[in-house]
Amino acid sequence: MMRITALVRSLIAVALACAIVTFGLLALGASPTIVFTALAEGAFGNWLACTDTLVKATPLLFCGLSIALAFEASLWNIGADGQLIAGAMAAGACGPWLSRWPHPLAVLAILGVGTLSGALWGGIAGWLRARRDVSEVISTIMLNFTAAQLLSWAVHGPLMEPTHAFPKSAPIASSAELQLYFAPSRLNLGMLLGAILAVGCYYFLFYTQTGFELRAMGRNARAAHYFGIKTRRLTIITMGLSGALAGIGGAVHIAAITHRLYETLSPGWGYEAIAVALVARLNPLAIVPAAVLFGALDNGAQAMQRSAGVSPVLVHVIQAFVIILMLTFDSLASRHRVMSGGGTPTTKGAAPTAMDLVDA
Amino acid sequence: MTRYATSASIIYRRATWLVETNLLVAAGITKRFGPTLALDAVDFHAAAGSIHALIGENGAGKSTLINVLTGRVAADSGTITLDGNPMDDRSPAACLRAGIAAVFQSPMLFEQMSWEENLVFGGFERSGSRLDLAAIRTQARGIAEPLAVPLPRDNAPITTLSVSDRVRLEIIRTLSYRPRVLILDEPTSVLGPAELERFLDMLRHLRGQGRVVILVTHKLREALAVADDITILRGGRKVAERRAGETDEPALARLMIGELPEIVSAPEDEGLREEPLLLIDKIGAEHDRRRVLDNASLEINRGEIVGVAGVDGNGQNELAALLAGAIHPSSGVVAGSAADAIAVLPQNRDLDGLILEMPLWENMLLARPLRRRFVGSFGNIDRGAARAFAAENCAQYGIRVPGAEIAARALSGGNRQRLTIARALASDPAVIVAHDICRGLDFNATAEVHRRLRSYAAGGGGVLLISTDLDEIFALCHRIYVISSGHLTEVSADKRNPEDIGMMMSGAS
Amino acid sequence: MLDSFLTSTIAMAVPILLAALGEYIVEESGVINIGIEGAMLSGAFFGLTAAYFSGSLILGLAAAIVAAIAMNMVLALLIVNLAVNQVVAGTAINLLALGLTGVIYRRLFGITGQAITVAPIPTLRFGPLAHLPVIGQALFAQNPLVYLTLILIPLFAHFVMRTRYGLYLRAAGEHPAAADALGLNVYRIRWLALIIAGAMSGLGGAYLTLAYTNTFVEGISGGRGFVALAVVIVGRWHAWGIAAASMLFGAAIALQFTLQVAGARLPYQLFLALPYVLTIVVLAIAGGQAQSPGALGAPYLRE
Repeated sequence: MMRITALVRSLIAVALACAIVTFGLLALGASPTIVFTALAEGAFGNWLACTDTLVKATPLLFCGLSIALAFEASLWNIGADGQLIAGAMAAGACGPWLSRWPHPLAVLAILGVGTLSGALWGGIAGWLRARRDVSEVISTIMLNFTAAQLLSWAVHGPLMEPTHAFPKSAPIASSAELQLYFAPSRLNLGMLLGAILAVGCYYFLFYTQTGFELRAMGRNARAAHYFGIKTRRLTIITMGLSGALAGIGGAVHIAAITHRLYETLSPGWGYEAIAVALVARLNPLAIVPAAVLFGALDNGAQAMQRSAGVSPVLVHVIQAFVIILMLTFDSLASRHRVMSGGGTPTTKGAAPTAMDLVDA
Repeated sequence: MTRYATSASIIYRRATWLVETNLLVAAGITKRFGPTLALDAVDFHAAAGSIHALIGENGAGKSTLINVLTGRVAADSGTITLDGNPMDDRSPAACLRAGIAAVFQSPMLFEQMSWEENLVFGGFERSGSRLDLAAIRTQARGIAEPLAVPLPRDNAPITTLSVSDRVRLEIIRTLSYRPRVLILDEPTSVLGPAELERFLDMLRHLRGQGRVVILVTHKLREALAVADDITILRGGRKVAERRAGETDEPALARLMIGELPEIVSAPEDEGLREEPLLLIDKIGAEHDRRRVLDNASLEINRGEIVGVAGVDGNGQNELAALLAGAIHPSSGVVAGSAADAIAVLPQNRDLDGLILEMPLWENMLLARPLRRRFVGSFGNIDRGAARAFAAENCAQYGIRVPGAEIAARALSGGNRQRLTIARALASDPAVIVAHDICRGLDFNATAEVHRRLRSYAAGGGGVLLISTDLDEIFALCHRIYVISSGHLTEVSADKRNPEDIGMMMSGAS
Repeated sequence: MLDSFLTSTIAMAVPILLAALGEYIVEESGVINIGIEGAMLSGAFFGLTAAYFSGSLILGLAAAIVAAIAMNMVLALLIVNLAVNQVVAGTAINLLALGLTGVIYRRLFGITGQAITVAPIPTLRFGPLAHLPVIGQALFAQNPLVYLTLILIPLFAHFVMRTRYGLYLRAAGEHPAAADALGLNVYRIRWLALIIAGAMSGLGGAYLTLAYTNTFVEGISGGRGFVALAVVIVGRWHAWGIAAASMLFGAAIALQFTLQVAGARLPYQLFLALPYVLTIVVLAIAGGQAQSPGALGAPYLRE
């Protein structure tokens, strides 16, 4: 029963967001009909569009899982972007060296280094929070910018391709590439991998002891600590896992789509994925369809630019309104949960908890 | 017809007599919250220059009556007359202007600010937009000196003040509004015996100033010690009114709960053995660079209920946290067969003991032994079994809920307490540490908790009862320690009385 | 060279400092505003657009302030009245600003190669004082916004710590339930704080497009809003500490130009990354939130 009202809420939020944007478009003198038709066609108009929607959804899926996991622990990981870049960089750096490896091993290797690299990037923020009491909101955002600069430097410098003609890295070995199916579509195993990880995350959160401890810490860190849960260590582990998830996403993107590193990588997936995570109410299983929805928006936005002359960043506006509406609905629906997000009476340093983002 | 007129005139004459002789008269106060009748035609009156105790169990309506008197809650019907004038406007601001002010239980002090800054939020004269703390200090002294109340040093932040200082500060702030009626809601629950006497003296001074002091309390002995009149509420009704000199504790207790209370006066020896379960040996611990436990030692034997008495803030929280495993000692050891099997019921149940946002059954899993039981070798939780276990325990401990899936937040205070106790006992510990677990519970609920602890000890377990309530400690505990500044001292048999223990609690020996 | 370094330091510090002072007020009221970036961006864009179409810098400044306040008012509705999660709400504002400014920018100006420019705010020289060695340029030959900022520092310090209203502000941030019980309107206090902060962020954003550069590029705020968050922490919730921390970050950004001019051959990405890395390092050393307002970040709903 609860799940259905939650689903309805999410759908209404998306619909309302589109409605609001419609009015805005009218104000700008753009035709909403053209815009939304272009969006829809771009997203689902033909087979290629559909596969591209899935392709665009993939990084959102990985980042969404990353964020959902961290948010369940009340760790505000705004750094999925940076962690994804870290994973991509590792993949792009190691990829060219894997030419003699057999295909399955090469793919495992490239994804593996991406995972570790993302875990490291997330773990840094986790350590800073656990040991130095540095807000992970700030540190992860700072790490985002840092990762972006690192990438730029790397492709202009040490990782630059041998001819030194363009700022991009050498291509990864073909054995490390993720195969594309149904050419010219770019459908690859990445989405499937993401879906499997989603199931894994769900199981982890709700069926394992560590997952339980993570959720307990996220809802009441004091009580969790009182009962022997090692919250500091758990913080680092959670941020590491979160970073790892985003990191695989980066590696998958390199291995399947771009095959090399360029100056820029993410158009803001890490921030968009926050909307994904919220619409899914932090439930890993629901992140899959939520990611597809937002992937459709992203995909359609390109077409929308061509047909309607509206900048693709319009999707950011839609995403923003989705978040705002979700937050509003949750707040109104749970008036009796007075300290929504605070959870406990005001204590020193009472950090916000994510509890009303979750299904209840 | 005539008889009706006669009784009507009797009522009228009594009413006018009441108003003439009393400063505060509340008549027929009724308040309903949804289906619950919180106050049922309650009458209350107090004369100027008197201390009036308002007693009753939790839920009897004391807080609601106070809220009505101070305007926080609007009564459904009834009148309030102050100094002969009926009060028509009963908004909080109007009540304050009329001269009714209250000090409530939940602290309303800003920790990081100085005490002078806190007093700015009072009735002292305003000095414009700039803060003039020196003026505040002077005015505060004007109130405190006649009451023989010492003020903290200049600019001291609240964090440095003791508990009794804070209570007094809140009273001074309330007095800054120059109230004629001062209501104190359970002010003494945090005070030790020595401070209590000073506090009661202050009340007597206030009485001497011609005010009405309404003392809301459930501590009968205090009420008898200081009040002139006592009003007893039960189930939303005023059941009786007595003059303090004409009644005694058992009579009041009986009026309060409606029947003779089960008097638990002395600990039982069944199950008591000479076998030590838990040894705390010269424990030292620091927190926030303060030494919170100092060379603390105690011992619990099988079948024994050991008490730790002390004023809040002398290390009790840290002792409990240490035994829970939440903090680690910097010196000393915790030893004994029970060292690994301790279940702790923390004082701050909602903050430390429960995760309100999680379902009941997951709250039970917080206890480490239970987690071990329901977690398999790969770290996987057997949800079905854990849920069933929780449901069983709910039934066994009288927690009536639709299912184990409901969030702990949805439970009443009493049920939350039962949940923590059920969890503690279900994890089959060797020693239970109970810190202030009966605070806020009514007579019957308290008796139930005491019964469970005793039967647990009788069955061969050990209990460490940390409490500020000496009655509870005397009734249950075989041996008693006093904690003061993080140090434990055992109370010898000849010192087992409130006066001596009171002195030990305030640091004298 | 030192004087141009100092001049740049102060110039770079101003937008951060403006936003940080606003955030200081907001955090003292108990709210964390992650959306500073969005407000600054809105201020930057709408300020430039208004100045461009009207030809008036004053109008531009006004528009910047209004736009940023509007963003903060949306945030206030969410955070104060609906008591939602403050981090997520702030992120939504950032996304909203990013999207709105991008869409409107391209709609109004198209994707041309030409940048939209206005004449920047002129420098205001204080005559002979501007000729003082070392500090002359830095302190007395800047544009008026810089002077305004410097004046605001002691004003904010006095307001928060020494006035009655500052006390009310701090009460709302430390223990909102008690503040409410004592007769303060916590909702109104937080709303006002967010509106003031909006004005400050708007000014900061306007500085970016009307003084520092004279054009707009998408994402011009460049993370300064987040640096402002860090500055409040590093400055230990004191106006002068915040000023000092802002100077530190201003220096880090200014270092880029100075070292390049000095001929150091270091990758430019290092300099671009420096403020962000520095933020992390300083926060790690200075430790965390021990002196933050008691109820910071905890949503508060009046019962």
